[in-house]
Amino acid sequence: MPVWQIARKGWWCCAFLAATSFVGLSQTPAVSPATVSPVVVSPATQADAVFVKEFYARVSKYLDLRKKAGSPPKPTKSAIKLAESKNAMAEKIQEARADAKQGDIFTPEIEAYFRKRIAAAMRGANGPKIRSSLRHAEPLHSMPLHVNQPYPDGVPLQSVPPTLLLNLPRLPKELEYRIVGRDLALHDIGPNLIVDLIPGAVPSP
Amino acid sequence: MRQHILFLILACAQILGCAAQDTARLMQATSPPANFSAPQTAPSQGSPGGTPASGLDVRLPLESKSIRFAVIGDTGTGEREQYQVAQEMETYRQKVGFDFVLMLGDNIYGSHSPKDFTQKFEVPYKPMLDAGVKFYATLGNHDDPNDERLYKPFNMGGERYYVFKKGDVAFFALDSTYMDPAQLSWLDQNLQNTKSKWKICYFHHPLYNDGRSHGPDVDLRSQLTPLFRRYGVNLVLSGHEHVYERIKPEDNIYYFILGNSAKLMTKDFKSSNQMEKGFDTDQGFMLVEINGEKLYFQVISRGGKTIDAGALDRQMQPSASSATAH
Repeated sequence: MPVWQIARKGWWCCAFLAATSFVGLSQTPAVSPATVSPVVVSPATQADAVFVKEFYARVSKYLDLRKKAGSPPKPTKSAIKLAESKNAMAEKIQEARADAKQGDIFTPEIEAYFRKRIAAAMRGANGPKIRSSLRHAEPLHSMPLHVNQPYPDGVPLQSVPPTLLLNLPRLPKELEYRIVGRDLALHDIGPNLIVDLIPGAVPSP
Repeated sequence: MRQHILFLILACAQILGCAAQDTARLMQATSPPANFSAPQTAPSQGSPGGTPASGLDVRLPLESKSIRFAVIGDTGTGEREQYQVAQEMETYRQKVGFDFVLMLGDNIYGSHSPKDFTQKFEVPYKPMLDAGVKFYATLGNHDDPNDERLYKPFNMGGERYYVFKKGDVAFFALDSTYMDPAQLSWLDQNLQNTKSKWKICYFHHPLYNDGRSHGPDVDLRSQLTPLFRRYGVNLVLSGHEHVYERIKPEDNIYYFILGNSAKLMTKDFKSSNQMEKGFDTDQGFMLVEINGEKLYFQVISRGGKTIDAGALDRQMQPSASSATAH
């Protein structure tokens, strides 16, 4: 079926297409429905589709800026070189985003969309599993994170429940979502920087 | 003059021994912990299939052309216990002859400065690294996903998850800290495509375990076990819980937890019906030998005592119909 015919079926399809086209950017094939457990969430609304598209546009803009900070490092046996390349990249990004602030990626509308998706996942049939997973993964107590600053060295990264990840827009491999306490952070893995965050994104039990 | 020549020879040997330039720059930091002492190897307890001649209690058959490897988990403390386990591993390596090691995550605890890579990995395992033993790491929650995937001695090829083969065995190293849809899709495709007789998955967070401090990750379990069943995964290895535990086979899959190769959580177990064997009073490591349809394992404590050992048969592969029935 041609794409334009699919698109005519509704705006929620647009959201899906936006998500899958972004997957193409990160060279990760789409997950077939048979592969992962389906999660019952409300279908995306027309407004949701707009927010997802806007989120991807902002992420793309960040990645463009990131590219200018240098090419990604290659595997090396030198831990010193790894540290040097990481710090160099971080410094360039921090300089280029000197005026970065919370909400640059997660605008109020996008933030509301993420809160809704997370809440839907936590309320659904998989909610107890997600909460149990969070409890068993050495949960971090609330720790102040700052946009455009490094994730603190030596502090463990709490694992993110896979069912929760299934409910969020997919990210290119340079970025990841991280939960810290009840906050959701957008983390740039290479330079170890917090790109943006949503405080209190994970609802209280 | 002689002293000068001797000094030069020693200096050259030192430089050759340090493959990386930065290693030489870190020589100040490369000494073992002050409280490190070699553990006493337990006297041989005799073994049905072992070779006690060397004084080691080897329970593996050491058959020709078999695949042999070691498994360690939650190692990167840089403390005395890690060094003692590493030394015991090296003692067994010289007898057993394993040529690679699976690391189940938390490879570097705390900070990730170059000094940490040296003290928490390069020095304790130096004899094995020098002997050409390869380490294949997975990421735990204490690991740095950027630095460690790019750190060549961890053999991750710059990826957070990867697969490699040894003989008729495929090893799937997964990143359980971030099991996103892309990784699930990758695992699905690679499990489906592999022609290997044995499929082993290893990652940090256990799907089953009876530890009080962490417990199982049930959400991760709900995503991974359907794939394991569908494609006939034989063995699953995890760390995170700082104990050793062997679970009764679940869905005909063997599950081991080995998170005590440096860290230890004593008296961690709660009562359980799913535990086949548990050990939470000392650190340890595991040896595995695979040959044909058999997998032999032996778990050894820091002091050289055999904690658990046995032989497992390769499970029947699921048919397409039964695989999708779950």
